[in-house]
Formats: sequence, C-alpha cells, structure tokens
Amino acid sequence: MTRVGRIATEASAASRSFLRRRTAVFFTFFFPVILVLIFGALVQTQPTGGGLFAEPAGYYVPGYLAVVVLFTPLSRVGSEIARHRDGGRFEKLATTPLSRAEWLLAHTLVNVAIIGAASLLILALVVVVTDAKPVVSPALAALPVFVAVAVALFCGLGALLGALADSQDGVIAASNTVALPLLFLSETFVSPGLLPEWFLPAVAASPLTYFARGTRAIVYEPGPWVGDLAVLSVLAAVFLALGAYAVPRTD
Amino acid sequence: MNETAAASASAAEDGETDRGTTDAAGVDAATDSSPVVVGEGVRKSYGEVAALDGVDVRVEPGEVFGLIGPNGAGKTTLVRALTGTTEAEGKLRVFGASPREVDPQRIGLLPQSFDPPERLTASELVDYYGGLYDAARDTEPVLRDVGMADDADAWYETLSGGQQRRTCVATAIVNDPDLLFLDEPTTGIDPAGRRSIHRLIERLAGDGTTVFLTSHAMDEVERLADRVALLRDGAVVAVGAPDELIAEHGGEPSLEVALDGPADEADAESVRDALSDGAAGASSPAVESTREGLRIGGVRPEEIGDAVDALEAAGVAFESLAWSEPSLEDVYLRLTGEEYSPRSGEFGETAPDGGDR
Repeated sequence: MTRVGRIATEASAASRSFLRRRTAVFFTFFFPVILVLIFGALVQTQPTGGGLFAEPAGYYVPGYLAVVVLFTPLSRVGSEIARHRDGGRFEKLATTPLSRAEWLLAHTLVNVAIIGAASLLILALVVVVTDAKPVVSPALAALPVFVAVAVALFCGLGALLGALADSQDGVIAASNTVALPLLFLSETFVSPGLLPEWFLPAVAASPLTYFARGTRAIVYEPGPWVGDLAVLSVLAAVFLALGAYAVPRTD
Repeated sequence: MNETAAASASAAEDGETDRGTTDAAGVDAATDSSPVVVGEGVRKSYGEVAALDGVDVRVEPGEVFGLIGPNGAGKTTLVRALTGTTEAEGKLRVFGASPREVDPQRIGLLPQSFDPPERLTASELVDYYGGLYDAARDTEPVLRDVGMADDADAWYETLSGGQQRRTCVATAIVNDPDLLFLDEPTTGIDPAGRRSIHRLIERLAGDGTTVFLTSHAMDEVERLADRVALLRDGAVVAVGAPDELIAEHGGEPSLEVALDGPADEADAESVRDALSDGAAGASSPAVESTREGLRIGGVRPEEIGDAVDALEAAGVAFESLAWSEPSLEDVYLRLTGEEYSPRSGEFGETAPDGGDR
C-alpha cells in the first residue's frame, strides 16, 4: 500500500466514523449556524455606532468562518487523539505501516472537507440573513485555500493539545482555553482599533489574525492577501510537523 | 539459586548460543532458524514500580509461546516492549531487528485493551486495518476464520463483547503476519467462540506463524502453547513446555471425595490409616479434609479402586469421586504463591512453590 493509499484508508474510515455519529455531525454544523443567526441576524451590526459590532456586516465574515476553522479542528483532532489513546488504537496503529504524520494528514483532510462544507453554509447564511455582500472576484478562489491551510494549522495545534491533555475532558478544556482568546483577539470580531496599542503585537502573533486579514482582503475589502497566506502556510507546516511528532506512539 | 534466577539464567544461556550476529547498525542478521523474539534483561519501570525486572525470553520460529502470570505481573508491558509500543531497557530483538525497525507487514497485534474506531461494521474494520498494509487477506475469509461471517455488517458497538473481541482478533490477522501477538484474545468470548479462536491459532501455527499468546485461561495456554513462561512481579519464574512445567511443579494426581458434608480430621485420619495399612499400596498417602469432603493426593488411575477400598474400610460413605491430573493451573497457583487451600476453599497467598511466606 502506498503512502497515498494508507492516508486514503485512514481518511475514509475516519470520515465514515464521523458521518455516522449524528449528534456530532448535527452540532458541528449547527454551531456556526446558530452563531451567524445570533450575531448576524439578532444582534446585528451598528456601523454608525461605537463599541463591538460597529463595523459593516461584511467585516465579520472572516470571524464567522474563523469559528469553525478554529474550534472544530482543535476539538475534533484533540478528542480523536484522546479517544485513540484511551482505546489502545495508537498501540495497534504503531504496528502497522501507517505513520503518525500520515495519521494526522488523513484526519486533517477529513477536517478540511467537513469545515469546507460548514464554511459554505456560513457564507450562504451570512448572505441570506445579513446585508453582507461578499466581493466576487477571481481572488475568491483563494478562499478555500485559506480555509484548508488554516484548518491544517489548527489540526496540528489540536494534535498537540490532544497529546498533552490526559483525557477528553482535558482536551475540551484546553481547546476552549486556547480558542476563545484567539477567536476574539485576532482581528475577527474585535477590530484592532478597539484594542490598546500595547496588545497589538499579541494580535500579530496569533495565527488566526492572518486568516482573518487574508479572507477579509478577499471577501470584504479587496487588498493584498498573498503575504497572509504565506505566513499561514508556514505556520501550518510548522504546527502540522509538531502535531505529527506529538501524536502518541508509546504509552 | 532461586527459581527465578535459574529460569532467567537458563533462558539467557539459550539466547547466547543461538543469537545471530550483529551488524554495524545494531540489527541482528536473522536466519530462518534464528529466534523470532529475543528479550534479554528487559526492564521497565513506571515510577518506582518495576513492571519488568530483567526478563529473558526467547521464541522460536513457528512456536506458540504462552505467557501467563497474575494481573500486574508485567505480561502486557512485555508485549508492548516487544512490539515497540513502550520504551524498555535491555536487549529486544524481533526478527533480528529492534521492535520499531521490524517490517510491520510481518507483525500482527491484538492489544489487551483495544477499542477500534466507532460506527464501523466488523467488515469495515477489517477492511480498514487491511487497507493500511502493503498486502492483506480478503476480509470475508478473515471474518470467517474468527466466526464473524454472519455478523460482518453489524456495527462494532452493537456486537456482544465476545463478538467484538473476535472482530479485534480479525484485525490482528488480516495482514497474514509471521509473528502474531495476542494479548488475552479470548477474554469475554463464549466457549464456542473460544474454540474457534483456538482452532484458528492452531491452524496459524501449523502454517508457520509464530504466536506470542498471553492469557489467564490456563486450559487455553496448556492446549495451545508449545512453551510457556510464567511471570511474577516482572520476572520469569519458570519457562518450559506445559508438560514439563506440570511434571516439575504441578504436584500429583488426586482423588476428590465428595461427602454429605465437610469431613472432619478423624475421617481423614481413618482413611490415611486404611491407606497406610497397605490396602491401597500408598506409602505416605496425603489425605486432607476439604469443604466438600476429602482430597487424596498421589492416587494414580490404577490405584482408584484401592482408594475406594480404603474409604469403605474407614467407614467413610461418599457421594461421588473425581480424579484429576495436575494441570497448568496448578503450576500457576503454585508458582505465583496463590495456591488453592482445599480446607478453606479459598485462595491464600503463599510463597512461590508452596512454601509459607
């Protein structure tokens, strides 16, 4: 079996296992839906006022996408590692030709597919329930690339959390602790103007910031995005490598 | 020299004589006659607890090697060390290479605690694990081998515990391994299912597969294993063919005499006297009272009639007789210090080989 074949086998089993868990599928897609409905339709933006949600609706599209791009891979990969470890699956896989990097790559592909579908749903909902009008341009073709690369990055981070936490509960707590600050302090829902200047280096250090900037330059304020994609890609490669190394092999 | 040291030394000596040469990369040049598995001075600790304390083990090609011992003796840790899924000190060689350098195509593993991915059918699970190898057997015959052909399309979660375990065994043999590690393969499986697994192991061994089997079912190990090692507190207490171990450590055949109620010491004394009088020809008959009646030790099959005569001569009326040979279970109980006490009907901790601690 080739490397591609092994990855395809693992990805196929992982996707079937996920798609047959109805509650997991439902809440994976319901989570972003309810978020868009609450913030996009119920709270709505106040472009003429101050404070939070003071930007036009289109400004927050990257934020809605970031919710699934960030939370879903962190919790899914982290939990999957905890489940694998508890069930002795890594012990079994360690005696097969499947490497840890291949395992993580396969689960990353599954997450890319799931989150890609959820992102499409979010974009459609944003258009329907808010007055946001995504810019349609050739650059829009780069949006799936941004989503895929960011998902890969957070799958790597999820693998690290899964390897470090000693239980599924620990993974969930750790991923929430990491994801919540990242979500709100990465130029997603809170614009840099609302943050103190001394905090801006922390914003620049967040990987999610480059996702938000890049996708915003594609769907809201046309501008350069290649640099953001490059940074995101390098970080994704680093986190995937670290994550693959962290995937357990021994007890 | 105590028994542990003797067993370890003996195994180590054997390992020295048959060991392959080692190349510059530290990989032994294994030959067809080289041991498939070699462990020398294997040590592993979890904190201050020594799970393996200098274990020596060697498994020959095509051999079914049984590993027995109490819970916590280190059996699973040794399997993990030999499959490269835990770090351990000492020399470990599988097919002449370190466990992590072995071609995974040649290894099959059923972990003791194993819960495969959810929401997949038995057939899909075997397909999945088979799909990870360069070459794998067809799923259908593999499931047939473990008696799961009729339930191939049922989700793993909906299967009974025994069916789940059989499915897990299927995932361990799907790559047609040369060396199969089975860590308690029949746990939770009903008698019919166990027999099908036993037949499978016998067939695999007959075809040349080396099997490393751990189990708490002594009858299973006695039936299947060519050689057995007994672990206690992380050390090999004894190693050898089941028959050899039984002959050396199992004690004598015995006759269980069921009475209406517990026998008193006077009954035992009467029977002992009757036997000593020469009716049964036994020189020093070991007669003990048990909760069910009496236990007469050292009775060979041809002496059963004499024993009955002695019971009648002693005026002891009995309901039934049961003659039994020593088994691997007796060896286990003796060497682990958990020998059964016929008087109380309970297991008591004694020093290994029957002595009091």
